[in-house]
Amino acid sequence: MSFRYLSLVLFTGALIVNPERAAEAAETPPDFETEIAPLLIKRCVECHQERDPSGNLSLITGQNLLKGGDSGSAIDVAAPEKSLLLQRIHAGEMPPEKQGQPQKLPMEEIRLFERWIASGSPWPEGRTLDLFEQTTDVRAGRDWWSLQPIQQPKVPELHSAPQPVNPIDAFILARLEKKQMTPAPAADKRTLIRRLYYDLTGLPPTKTQVEQFEDDTSPQAWEKLIDRLLDSPQYGERWARYWLDLVRYADTSGYERDQEKPFAWKYRDWVVDSLNSDLPYNQFIVEQLAGDELPNRSQQSVIATGFLRLGTWNDEPNDPLDYQYDRLEDLVHTTSSAFLGMTVKCARCHAHKFDPITQEDYYRMASAFWTGPIAPRGSDLLGGPHPDELGLADVLGWTDLKSPPRPLHLLKNGEREHPLYEVQPASLSMIPALERPFAPQPEGAKTSQRRLQLARWITSPDHPLTSRVLVNRLWLHHFGEGIVRSPNNFGFLADPPTHPDLLDWLAAEFTNGGGTIKRMHKLILTSKTWQQSSLHPQFREYIKRDAGNRLWWRAERRRLDAEALRDSMLATTGELNLKTGGPGFRPTISAEALEGLSKKTAAWSASSPEEQKRRSLYMYSKRGLLPPMMTTFDLCNPTESCGKRDITTVPTQALAMMNNRFVHLRSETLAREISAKNLKPQAQVQQLWSRVYAREPSQQESELALQHLATQSQHFKQHQQQTATSLERSQDHGTGSDKPKESSPLTPETLALASLCHVLLNSNEFLYLD
Amino acid sequence: MSNHLMFPCGRSRREFVWEMGAGFAGLALTSLLSADNFFTRYATAAEPQRLLNPSAAKEPQFKPRAKACIFLMMNGAPSQVDTFDFKPELEKFAGKQLPADKKFTNSGGRKMGYLTPAWRKFRPGGESGLLISDYFPNVRKHADKLCVLNSCHTDSHAHGSALVAMNTGKTLIGRPSLGSWCVYGLGAENENLPGYVVILDKRGGPISGQPNWSSGFMPATHTGTLFRPVGNPILDLQGPEHMIQAAQREQLDLLAKINQRHLDARPGGQELAARINSYELAYRMQTATPEAVDLTQETESTLKMYGIGSQPTDEYGRNCLIARRLVERGVRFIQLYSGGGHLEETWDAHESIEKNHGRHGAEVDQPIAALLTDLEQRGMLEDTLIVWGGEFGRMPFSEGQDAPGRNHNPYGFSMWLAGGGVKGGTTYGSTDEFGFEAVENKVHLHDLHATILQIMGLDHERLSYFHQGRDETLTDVGGRVIHDILA
Repeated sequence: MSFRYLSLVLFTGALIVNPERAAEAAETPPDFETEIAPLLIKRCVECHQERDPSGNLSLITGQNLLKGGDSGSAIDVAAPEKSLLLQRIHAGEMPPEKQGQPQKLPMEEIRLFERWIASGSPWPEGRTLDLFEQTTDVRAGRDWWSLQPIQQPKVPELHSAPQPVNPIDAFILARLEKKQMTPAPAADKRTLIRRLYYDLTGLPPTKTQVEQFEDDTSPQAWEKLIDRLLDSPQYGERWARYWLDLVRYADTSGYERDQEKPFAWKYRDWVVDSLNSDLPYNQFIVEQLAGDELPNRSQQSVIATGFLRLGTWNDEPNDPLDYQYDRLEDLVHTTSSAFLGMTVKCARCHAHKFDPITQEDYYRMASAFWTGPIAPRGSDLLGGPHPDELGLADVLGWTDLKSPPRPLHLLKNGEREHPLYEVQPASLSMIPALERPFAPQPEGAKTSQRRLQLARWITSPDHPLTSRVLVNRLWLHHFGEGIVRSPNNFGFLADPPTHPDLLDWLAAEFTNGGGTIKRMHKLILTSKTWQQSSLHPQFREYIKRDAGNRLWWRAERRRLDAEALRDSMLATTGELNLKTGGPGFRPTISAEALEGLSKKTAAWSASSPEEQKRRSLYMYSKRGLLPPMMTTFDLCNPTESCGKRDITTVPTQALAMMNNRFVHLRSETLAREISAKNLKPQAQVQQLWSRVYAREPSQQESELALQHLATQSQHFKQHQQQTATSLERSQDHGTGSDKPKESSPLTPETLALASLCHVLLNSNEFLYLD
Repeated sequence: MSNHLMFPCGRSRREFVWEMGAGFAGLALTSLLSADNFFTRYATAAEPQRLLNPSAAKEPQFKPRAKACIFLMMNGAPSQVDTFDFKPELEKFAGKQLPADKKFTNSGGRKMGYLTPAWRKFRPGGESGLLISDYFPNVRKHADKLCVLNSCHTDSHAHGSALVAMNTGKTLIGRPSLGSWCVYGLGAENENLPGYVVILDKRGGPISGQPNWSSGFMPATHTGTLFRPVGNPILDLQGPEHMIQAAQREQLDLLAKINQRHLDARPGGQELAARINSYELAYRMQTATPEAVDLTQETESTLKMYGIGSQPTDEYGRNCLIARRLVERGVRFIQLYSGGGHLEETWDAHESIEKNHGRHGAEVDQPIAALLTDLEQRGMLEDTLIVWGGEFGRMPFSEGQDAPGRNHNPYGFSMWLAGGGVKGGTTYGSTDEFGFEAVENKVHLHDLHATILQIMGLDHERLSYFHQGRDETLTDVGGRVIHDILA
């Protein structure tokens, strides 16, 4: 409910002084546990808590209430109606105003306080309130759904249809059945293979691959295809991208100088390799957080700690001492977002406003990173350890620096000048069963082992968030939406899961299966739910009933993301260079795009054409100069962890596809290749359709295409004649600066074929997956 | 194929949008649905896909005072007591400390110096006699057009969050910016140009970057479009040389046919239809955008008036003139940054007010004055709102003994409005005798935003966007329209 509405109600209500009501109220004291405790927790305890309470008034125990604060006792025992607490509430002073808006309580809540205080403000002996003991309508408590233990739910039994083989389908169908809806029919094989190729590898199948699959009628055809693609190196390249978004991967530091982070690419390759080798998820987590602290530490496990080095790094912060705390925030935020789906960073200055995360929790997690190279040091180290400290050269890694570690204090309001008590390193408190302090640094250990203990906590088998968050991410990337639609937030502000039981079943299945991700892929991909068509016979009715497709009654049509689009263009024209790993390549960026930037970034030298034809995963990511072609298609900003990219449709994308040199060069390459075969126009059209769409053109499409070739040949012929004339007149012919420089002259016929190819690359059939 | 039932008729827009959830994230459906005549238009539309155009003009919620807004963003925060808020008392208290009962956060923990009077003289301007300092001698000539808000205050003392707050209403990134709300509410008058344009200072973007012109949780199409001040204003406006207009038209016609056949087989493909439509918009943008920024169409005297071709006014002069041309062409919201990057490259005068404001003032004073003159001469000022100001103000005291700079001050600062039906030659609200904090008729940035929306014909309480279970507004639950300043 909005406060605007609230205050309207109050305004009228508060004016009424009703002594009769007050008398009546006194007779029936409200129940403490069901009425008063929730009210105090919801409205008061956030500020009037145990440590450093506002006005020195704590409202978590009965004794505190009587003792009062700076202004005296909150309760007047002799004349309860004159109690300070009531006075402040009546005056609308408590709760205090927010952003200039009074936060006066609703009348029924004021009445509750009146009745309670009139009855002597009873408080059960020994009862201590805790802000996060229970969920209220303003914030989540430790009883929040995502913090509860995962028990693998029973697979639902269907009533109206035969029980499906794949449990995923049972969960989906059971809900649809309840709503008297039916899922979409299975998509055809052509649609499925294309969807699968993009899903697992981010690349399109060729026409031959499509036809082979269509011809394979064996019952194992589908599983065989899944296995083959999961085994291909391109699988890891595709899925690594999602992880790189989560860990704010980039090759440079950002800010004014935007220095390179040397060997960041080794981390990228580590992620690809981990996925391809199906590294168990727990190990995947532990190595990234504490690969340097492991007993069996290896070069690879230290490379994994690059996770802690990927954030932006400012060599010239406004205040270097404050900057340490900003770096902690980045590390806490990325860690808690990526692995836990929790916004722990919001508790940097005060208890989390919405989730059961105390300010101390924030510092507990931060303490794991405090022992690393956080303090200001030589800027040549780029905020990381020296190779000697790391014990490895040519690795962008992380390790602890000093022993014993500096104490980390909780900062009042997050202000460095106002340290409160020293925080003991520990796990977070939101899951009491798993809460534990971190053991002190063992004798002779080189590092504090705090990160290792943090990682062990995150990966404890009973952790309710880790597996839920991960399976939701897998679901998101397979289906276009998660079961929880806010993949980085499983807290109070999250969208509730569409199928909580399915989420838990998958999470349990994942944990029971040893945390192998490939097994989960296969489970999902063999479900009928995944194989549904994006078209539904009852679309018009269903879209009204469930426009968000929260019941998964059809597949979502999806646009290729920036990487898949760019890679597909290269794959279609046969230019894609599948070289894996190693330093990234620098794409050509038009002079115009460079001009608007500051001088320091203007020194951009593009890689060789062959390198530039590698997959987009290997594109060098310079924070100050993200390639416009990619950002236009919703590449996420690598400043912060990104769980889900936007999917926008804007005219600047159309401009890029119409005019960008990259797209024209692809079209010309393919046109050149096809023209070289000296085919008739009809056959050229067929070739083009087969290459771009992996299918034959229809009769009508052929006619349109032939017409286009004829018209465009005419246009380009005329243009070439005119240009020749004007070139004679002046060598200084004005051209756009996007003009391709290296293209050798093409005949009008080849240009026409390129134009046709260009149209197909621009088409929705090319950009969308059914 | 008929896309007749592409939208579920008979539902409330909100219900529809809400249920759409994030399923079509980024598709600009909500905005077009907010046009009150949407369903009637829809029912009779011959070309249903046209409706997927999110930039279509929409009726304001009530009679607007201005149809466009130019926000002159003084990035880095100019000092109020040195520009538009004259404090003679500072002379008297010079060298003394701010009284101890004045509480504030010392941003960045900088040295605390002594009350320091204005670094340049204030003089009266126009018939109104508004007092404006010598950092803005040319703007002063337009004093009778200005409504100076001397009692502004905001929620953060740090540039990053205060900039985001000035632009989006909140200190945390992720919310739609003021310009996004305007184009969401009003659409663009000219569909061939973006409705919301941002021109950055060549020295760099503002701290926090893109979130300052982001559409937040709204569809990305409401994001501010960055115009580069040199070359083509946006990228990829031109294809290869041989792709002459007729050839490109032929391409787009074929593309439309192919895409239409594809769509016909996919009923309900809103995202497909939106993409089809985006090509026609893009096609028109190719000619409309370069034309809009083509200053060769302007007379020599106009260029001279804006200080184009002279230093240090050339850059901001160009931007101001481009802003006028964009307003003429129906762009709704234009933001021009003065200052970019960090510290002295912006108005962030920690080191020296005189050096810093002397430099940046000279860059913008003549261009801004020219903009006011130009708009007035063309009869455009009455329906164009000009907003001037930074993300916060500066302290009335120095950063140490005899130090010439001033620290951040979110407690009281000045902004001014002009044109667009505001009362010129007036001031509203005031700070205390030191110019430290707003005391009378305080204007929170929500109030400023509410007033700007009001002037644009939008009700800040009703202009909402349903997001994650909540009707979000620019001003959240705060904000009041300052009716006193509206003519």
